[in-house]
Amino acid sequence: MGVSLSKLTEKTDIWPWLLLAPLGVYMLIFFVVPLADVAIMSFVEPKVSFANYQKVLTGALYQRVFLNTFLTAAFVTLCCLAVGYPLAYLMAHSKPRTAMLILLLVTMSFWTSFLVRTYAWMVLLGNNGPLIAFLQMIGIEQPPQLLFTRFSSTLAMVHILAPYMIMNIYSVMKKIDPALIRSAESLGAKGWSLFRHVYLPLTAPGIANGSVLVFVICLGFYVTPVLLGSPREQMIAGLIGHQVDEFLAFGLGSAMAMVLLVITLVILTIYHRRFGLDKLWG
Amino acid sequence: MNTFMRWTGFIVVLFIAAPLVIVVPMSFSNASSLQFPPPGYWLGYYRAYFTDMDWLVPTWNSILIATATTVLTMLLVVPATFALVRHKFRGKGIADVMMLMPLAVPHIVMAVGYYSYFGDLGLVHSHFGVILAHTCLSVPIAFLVLSANLKGFDRNLERAAQSLGAGPAKTFIHITLPILRPGLIISSLFAFIQSFDETVVAIFISGRDAETLPRKMFDSIRQEADPVIAVISTLLFFIVLIGIAAPYFASALRSRAPKPSRPAGAH
Repeated sequence: MGVSLSKLTEKTDIWPWLLLAPLGVYMLIFFVVPLADVAIMSFVEPKVSFANYQKVLTGALYQRVFLNTFLTAAFVTLCCLAVGYPLAYLMAHSKPRTAMLILLLVTMSFWTSFLVRTYAWMVLLGNNGPLIAFLQMIGIEQPPQLLFTRFSSTLAMVHILAPYMIMNIYSVMKKIDPALIRSAESLGAKGWSLFRHVYLPLTAPGIANGSVLVFVICLGFYVTPVLLGSPREQMIAGLIGHQVDEFLAFGLGSAMAMVLLVITLVILTIYHRRFGLDKLWG
Repeated sequence: MNTFMRWTGFIVVLFIAAPLVIVVPMSFSNASSLQFPPPGYWLGYYRAYFTDMDWLVPTWNSILIATATTVLTMLLVVPATFALVRHKFRGKGIADVMMLMPLAVPHIVMAVGYYSYFGDLGLVHSHFGVILAHTCLSVPIAFLVLSANLKGFDRNLERAAQSLGAGPAKTFIHITLPILRPGLIISSLFAFIQSFDETVVAIFISGRDAETLPRKMFDSIRQEADPVIAVISTLLFFIVLIGIAAPYFASALRSRAPKPSRPAGAH
């Protein structure tokens, strides 16, 4: 801020507050209060105690689900990086026309509803679907069950979240000055060494952005794991929904929701300190 | 390295494209369950979609809710964005972060909150409740787009108008609003799409009476995978395609580089 504090207090401007007030009040009533409701329920449902947290943090079922969620989110992030990086590279180093077509495709995927993409994977991986047919064609008599497994939900999540990674990495790659690469080459760097020491570090901000975004979205992912995953290997969001919707266990559900929220906010706060949150979604 | 990246890139293109394309032939299939390639083709499921109230009512609900959400979001966000971009005041940094908070909170957490809180208020299973919830979720997205636009605004244009004798109101209506129009349109569009696509909160609070299209699709995929979903998917697919291709073509005509991007939000 360029304005000194004394100047601000001197000229107390009422305008910004008037303009902000409607939204502020609205968000207080319809965002902060419901969120606080979750926090309160986690302590008072069914009776006032820490029992919900004790159960959520030490119960074997819950620990397994949390661990599973973390590992899945980490694995999905890595896969998104593995598919996103080469694609971003292809876009950044192709003729404008090719690059634009790929960008169009990625944007299409980005904007297509999660549900539509989840449904598409159900078709692709179904027992009467093309992938099973292909496996049978190449001689596998008893193809494995693909749908409703960890495999199907992970694959679909990678597909759904990859565009976030691609967009972030691509926007960084596009801005790399080719002169930097040329000068590295003139100094003798080539192949793997050029990539490892010059290109990769230059694209690191995009990787960081994309990874944080994918990881955080994946932690709280509800729709795709519920529809495509195995009921025995739930992720945290699915279990929260299950507790609240089926068992009306608002206390337990809320405690899990709070743990998920705190983890998410910690990751985003660390990120915010280093880079600024607005960059993540900008 | 280069060739390896390129080949992997091409394979990834197929991976990204296949699921998007497959829903189109599926929608013309005459199979009653998921089967690909389809045993035969007909338009029966299109007729089913356009005549079945079980699908049309949720579609209508979604359009209604998304429209109301957009109006409410813009009414709240436009003045707030002016305050945050054009004024300096104490607590602005916190206010800026607060604007983005709904993006940071996983939707399942909000869903639990709304389910309980709106239950107490008697707002579950109502259009009004879904609109109120969706507006919170649309605020940060509309704000990001609009504030980016407002930051790039050349205020000399307003000063020029005022030096020529226009009052603040006149300046706002004749100078500020027209220049901001693209930003306003795009942020409204994002708010609309955010609401139209939102699934998790809608699953928990919309109920039978205000059932949205994503909720209906979710239930249908979970229960029987009604082939009508392929029809809706295809329709949505083409709406998105037209929506994205139109600016591409428009900008190609004006021979300017396109810049499609979207602040992330949907969980």
